[in-house]
Amino acid sequence: MSSPTTAPAVPARSWASEKLFLGMSFWEYLKSLATPGNFLAGLIMAIGVPLIAYRFIFGLGASTNLSQTNPWGIWIGFDMLSGVALAAGGYTLATSVYIFGLEKYHPVVRPAVLTGFLGYLFAVLGLMADLGRPWNLPVPIFFSWGGPSVMFEIAWCVVLYLTVLGMEFLPPVFEWLGWPKARMWAVRMTIGLTVFGVMLSTLHQSSLGGLFLMAPTKLHPLWYSPFIPAYFFISSIAAGLSMVIVESALSHRAFESRIDHKTDISGIALGLARGASIVLFAYFFVKLQGVADGGRWALLATPYGYWFLVEMLGFILLPSMLFAYGARHSNVTLVRWTAAWTVLGIIVNRLNVSVIAMNWNVPDRYFPSAIEVMVSITLVTIGVSTFRWIVNRMPVLNELPEYRDSASH
Amino acid sequence: MIPHDILTLYSAKMLEYGIAVLFLLLFIPFWRYVQGPASAPALATARSRVPVTRAAEWFLTPADRFFHRGHAWLMGGDDGLVTVGLDDFAAKLVGPLSRLSLPAVGASVGQGEQAWRMTAADGRSVDMLSPVDGTVVELNPALAASPDLAERDPYGEGWLMKVRPSRLRANRINLMAGRAVHRWMEEAAAGLRGHFAPGLGALAQDGGAPVAGMARALDPEGWDRLAATLLLTAEEGSDA
Repeated sequence: MSSPTTAPAVPARSWASEKLFLGMSFWEYLKSLATPGNFLAGLIMAIGVPLIAYRFIFGLGASTNLSQTNPWGIWIGFDMLSGVALAAGGYTLATSVYIFGLEKYHPVVRPAVLTGFLGYLFAVLGLMADLGRPWNLPVPIFFSWGGPSVMFEIAWCVVLYLTVLGMEFLPPVFEWLGWPKARMWAVRMTIGLTVFGVMLSTLHQSSLGGLFLMAPTKLHPLWYSPFIPAYFFISSIAAGLSMVIVESALSHRAFESRIDHKTDISGIALGLARGASIVLFAYFFVKLQGVADGGRWALLATPYGYWFLVEMLGFILLPSMLFAYGARHSNVTLVRWTAAWTVLGIIVNRLNVSVIAMNWNVPDRYFPSAIEVMVSITLVTIGVSTFRWIVNRMPVLNELPEYRDSASH
Repeated sequence: MIPHDILTLYSAKMLEYGIAVLFLLLFIPFWRYVQGPASAPALATARSRVPVTRAAEWFLTPADRFFHRGHAWLMGGDDGLVTVGLDDFAAKLVGPLSRLSLPAVGASVGQGEQAWRMTAADGRSVDMLSPVDGTVVELNPALAASPDLAERDPYGEGWLMKVRPSRLRANRINLMAGRAVHRWMEEAAAGLRGHFAPGLGALAQDGGAPVAGMARALDPEGWDRLAATLLLTAEEGSDA
């Protein structure tokens, strides 16, 4: 007779339960998904995913309002241009922490890099929807190089930078998987990846603006400027900083159980606000210089001019001042709302350049179709859901105790 | 190129240079404004010489601290945070502590609102008020192991927490510094004398130093209520 043994009080969880189902059984996990937020996300995807399939089956003509006159719509203006600008928090924060040694911002590097990675990933997915023949995408990248083309440079930069962001995010992935040696190697690559990342970002953030240098007659003169690559690069820094403020504020509400409560998230937001304030202040004057350089003052007194002034004063100068006031007076709430306003302002700017002020003088004006809008909403929803899935499993907002004392990245 | 085009060109260039100069001129004050102290400049004091006075002969009051009427002090730092602690009066009033219940990091505290609790060796506890509005960002780790540090060295190693103030300028109105501290502390000492029971004899009136745990010495049965009254946290209706 075997001696009596006592069963363990807590049965050992399976790998899938531990890593994928948040320590629950599969059925428990499925039940836990029944929340209003998930229901809304599921509803959007249930409508949007078939529409994405519809676009690939029936083509651009059947699903969009794009035309020969207006070949770029919101999939470029919102998904690609705004997505890439708002994903700039990855390179901005990684450079601040790993190159400039601003360790105070270390707690927000991982969420910023993850936001950057997903931002680029879904910008590329948006691009795939926009390209008439997406399966030909490898041709200009690998087989038929067009050296003098801005588009060629952007394609390579985005491919490389997406890879860099993916590699920068490997340490938390390996921590989640419990692979300390692989993590150690990933951490060792951090400085090199950061330097490479900031080089690539400088190149393609500005080149995305450089694309419009080819359209001086199509883009409204108030938005067209030889400085437009500089506009895109400078504004991407403000966009990245603002996005990190917004994202960290939302994360600290949504993932209360996973955050590191020792993190001074308010202090970080105030520091980022100082940076964003200075950048927006400089950006305003550089944009003003563009108006002076082009001699466009008279155009300010036209309907497009009024809209340009809304962008300049309402979405650049105003947030710059509000950030400055909020940072100086430690008003974190004001800083967070200003960051959200700035994010909106960057989206407005990218849509102005690529859609609203583009082809402003032709009768055939573009307005996005319902399918285009729904596909964009669906991509954002899938992006946010992916962010939630990762943050709920991997050490993004918190540090695992076993890695706390090692060189954490 | 016709002559007036050249003139137009010059005026355009002048405007561009003008914008550049304007930017640089405005950038300097803007930078200074943005980078300015997050804490109110009113809190900046010269640290090189920090005289420590002994108010009413009993209680230490360093000149680089701002005091709240609830007997807590705060001191501004270069990082925009303020350090908060209890003053010598509160330390001597309550005496040796067995536990100190501080708010969690990330919690909000409000000036004049109950913020932490001191528990003495006999298990009775007294609440204290926060001297500032803000968010707690750091707790003194040394207090976890030895909470009595707050009583033994209230202005040094026994600091309680660091707070990111949310409205320091407004809070500053309710804080005392300089001579006002001296006067207020003398009043507090006088108030304390008022509680001396005849039976206690000459505890301090003769010029002796106050004992640690004065409240208990004055009223062994109801010392916590007495301390709460003097620290302004006694609930209305309760007597001391």
